[in-house]
Amino acid sequence: MANLSYEERSLYGVLVVNLAVYLPYLFLSRYSNSLTRIAGAMVLLMALQILSQAVIAVATRNRLQDERDKQIRLYGYRAGYIAFTGLVGTGLSLLWLWAAYGHLDPMRLAIQFLSVLFGTIVLADIARVVTQLIAHRRPV
Amino acid sequence: MGGIRNRIRELRGDHSMTQQELADQIGVTRQTVIAIELDKYSPSLEVAFRIATIFAVPLEQVFQYQPASSNKKGS
Repeated sequence: MANLSYEERSLYGVLVVNLAVYLPYLFLSRYSNSLTRIAGAMVLLMALQILSQAVIAVATRNRLQDERDKQIRLYGYRAGYIAFTGLVGTGLSLLWLWAAYGHLDPMRLAIQFLSVLFGTIVLADIARVVTQLIAHRRPV
Repeated sequence: MGGIRNRIRELRGDHSMTQQELADQIGVTRQTVIAIELDKYSPSLEVAFRIATIFAVPLEQVFQYQPASSNKKGS
């Protein structure tokens, strides 16, 4: 941990919080989901992100970010964007197919749509963070 | 194989300077200095000039550009 730059620590923080919130959410919402659970997971995710980033910022004396960090950030955002568009397309297509074949209660379509959107955002963010973490350790 | 090579590690050794000290002086992180030394990252022109200034040598003594070998037969 001592060898990590502020940027890397911050990225690990984002990754840990994303996984710590999304995996239990995914486990709990396997069979049934509710608007409260999705909203709760979103709020918890945002609150923990703010808290973890504040702790990392306070614990890191040298918070310098340089040109390489900026370049790596761009790679990360590109990967995140590609993941987001791919996952939105796949997720919504599967949802549509699921509904078209009558496996989905039309009354719960809005909740499933929100769940897919939430999952897409979190997974795209994980893709962004992992890309950036790899780029920090590899040639860019 | 071509690319930009540098002598930063050697120059740093001559000046008894650590990676962190060099990073602090040029305003980048230590991880960036490591990446530059390992030829994994080509710094901006501004950072390259800052490095040369710190070691008090011309830029071309720090960085050398080696074009990719393009030995085409018959040309």
